[in-house]
Amino acid sequence: MNRNKLRIGPIWLIAFAVLAPTLGSSASYAEAAPAAGQKIILGTSPDYPPYESVDAKNNGEIIGMDIDIARYIADRLGYKLEIAPMDFNGLIAALQTGRVDFVMSAMSVTDERKKSVAFSDSYYAARNTIVSKKTNGFYSVDQLSGKVVGAQLGSIQDLFADTIPGASHKKLNKIADLIQELNTGRIDAAIVEDAVAIDMVSANPGLTINFLPAEEDDNGYAVAFPLKSGLVDDFNRVLAEMQTNGELQKIIDKWFADMEPSNNGSSGSLNIDFRVLEGYVPYILKGIYVTLLFTLVSALLGLIWGTILSLFKISSIRPLQWFATAYTSVFRGTPLLVQLTLIYYATPQLTGFDIPALLAAGLAFGLNSAAYLSETIRGGIMAVDKGQREAAIALGVPYRKMMARIIFPQALRHILPALVNEFVALLKESSLVSVIGVTELMRRADVVRASTFRSFEALLLVAAIYYVLVLVLTSLARVLERRLRRSD
Amino acid sequence: MINVTDLKKTFGKHQVLKGITTQVDQGEVVALIGPSGSGKSTFLRCLNMLETPTSGTIAIDGIELTNPQTDIARVRQRIGMVFQHFHLFPHMTVLDNITFAPIEVKGIPPEAARSKAHELLARVGLSDKADSYPSKLSGGQKQRVAIARSLAMEPDILLFDEPTSALDPEMVKEVLSVIRGLADSGMTMLIVTHEMKFAREAADTIYFLDDGKLVERATPDSFFTRPQSERAVRFLEQVL
Repeated sequence: MNRNKLRIGPIWLIAFAVLAPTLGSSASYAEAAPAAGQKIILGTSPDYPPYESVDAKNNGEIIGMDIDIARYIADRLGYKLEIAPMDFNGLIAALQTGRVDFVMSAMSVTDERKKSVAFSDSYYAARNTIVSKKTNGFYSVDQLSGKVVGAQLGSIQDLFADTIPGASHKKLNKIADLIQELNTGRIDAAIVEDAVAIDMVSANPGLTINFLPAEEDDNGYAVAFPLKSGLVDDFNRVLAEMQTNGELQKIIDKWFADMEPSNNGSSGSLNIDFRVLEGYVPYILKGIYVTLLFTLVSALLGLIWGTILSLFKISSIRPLQWFATAYTSVFRGTPLLVQLTLIYYATPQLTGFDIPALLAAGLAFGLNSAAYLSETIRGGIMAVDKGQREAAIALGVPYRKMMARIIFPQALRHILPALVNEFVALLKESSLVSVIGVTELMRRADVVRASTFRSFEALLLVAAIYYVLVLVLTSLARVLERRLRRSD
Repeated sequence: MINVTDLKKTFGKHQVLKGITTQVDQGEVVALIGPSGSGKSTFLRCLNMLETPTSGTIAIDGIELTNPQTDIARVRQRIGMVFQHFHLFPHMTVLDNITFAPIEVKGIPPEAARSKAHELLARVGLSDKADSYPSKLSGGQKQRVAIARSLAMEPDILLFDEPTSALDPEMVKEVLSVIRGLADSGMTMLIVTHEMKFAREAADTIYFLDDGKLVERATPDSFFTRPQSERAVRFLEQVL
């Protein structure tokens, strides 16, 4: 009953307007027809154990209760299951554009969502709990009057917290944030669903948990499909079958078996303990490669395309000038996140090419960066003495050679500091691409934060990694600058 | 060798060249003199199309530069130009400055281009500077390298646009003596200059320009001793 988030709203509206004519591509599957090994794609946001999480300590596979249920159903219907991890905010969009066939991600049924997607019957209903410091040990809603109560923004618990009489209500983005606020005493209690609460408490021994009375079962977790998907009935049939033959309960028991809060965390006063990262470090470190690859691709694309655009801008051909100016205006004038989302979701719809997330991210960032760089490069070219051009022309040097060998090397010297700034920004902004599920550093930190129920350690680790990467980048730039300055 | 007919050039509303017609022979050394703003430099820059003439024609050995069909870059390879502010490529060594165009434009083998460059450096007295960067040279040295760079393309014509105006007085001589050496070797040259003594000694012909017109065209002797126009008389009074 968690994670009601629909923050993607405005972006999605735009994307929808573009794509609407081509929507509804998910074919309806003939009833009960054995799919005979056809693949079926599950979209999920693996940062919510025990429902779905990345098995970061082992091979990075996506595991969890939802995954097991999905596997069972796919099996029964004769499909081959493929899992597409992405941010929770991108799941609905992925359904609507047909990037995934169905979504299982501890997603609860809401009226809002029903407008965009179809839901199966609910397969699980969680209970709400109060998590608070052991010293407080709140066990009933009545005790929360006059207290500060936290909940995850947009979640069902968030709605519930609003109804607590006399309590003031603080909305936070992530479970890890709730833990932090509890520990620091900024909130007195948090309303959290049971499975999550148990893990929270296990990892944070200063906290305790008390179950609230069960609610009605009407908005439990359900499988989401594109509207009019023919899969709904098939899934409902198998879900009902799992209910009767006990399979569903078996899977639930498997993931909720360790419901007893175990005590493996530590309780320092600062509450930072890097031992919780044990086993996760290699998983996070692998993100360096993804982050660097992404930065390299987008920086190269930005540099090349930005150079071409800057040449357009200084050319005497009017349409080229107009194009470059309009391009810069649009890409600087709209949020990068919008561009990223549009490129990732629109490309398969418009071209039929199922663009990989990393490529889409590199493309979006490259195209965006090019807009900024084209201005920087144009400035650099203008700063080169006009006489250089004339000397080259007088020697009969053709345009392209003149630009490549005479003008650019000199312009580069002027703009190198600005270029380095841009690349540093790209490196750090790469954390944005976790939205479409690229598992770069930041995404991995979030996965680990979700898995460990600890907020600081993974963040501090990736902050340090980013810092080192930026240091390396800037010292490389300094070497390059020295090389360029040897003619002084 | 060079035929210019009714050459006009307008910048915005300002007419800089008001119809110049002249002819330069092979091996002729022309000194262009006149008050500043008279159009000397613009005229020179039109000759290799650094400025596009507004009207009129320029032909080199019968090839019309002003014809849009003409491959200008090709013609430019035959016309060297030396600028007031040298315009050496600051990111290249002296040697690379000289060999760049021969290798990249003419396709001369690098080895041959380099040995030719050393020859030229010896000719302008800078053999020891081959591996220096321009920033390490004095103004006079820079201009001599610029001359060597132009010569490396083996041009038929050399244009000098106030080659000594940006130099400290003690460096003027070394540059002028290089130019004079070239004049003696039979190179066709047009030189915009304020050095009257040099113009008188080195040039075959003096062009006196004033207000966008070629007012006088005469031998140095006749120009400096018997200027025909009142404007030339006044100009010479001021500069001599």
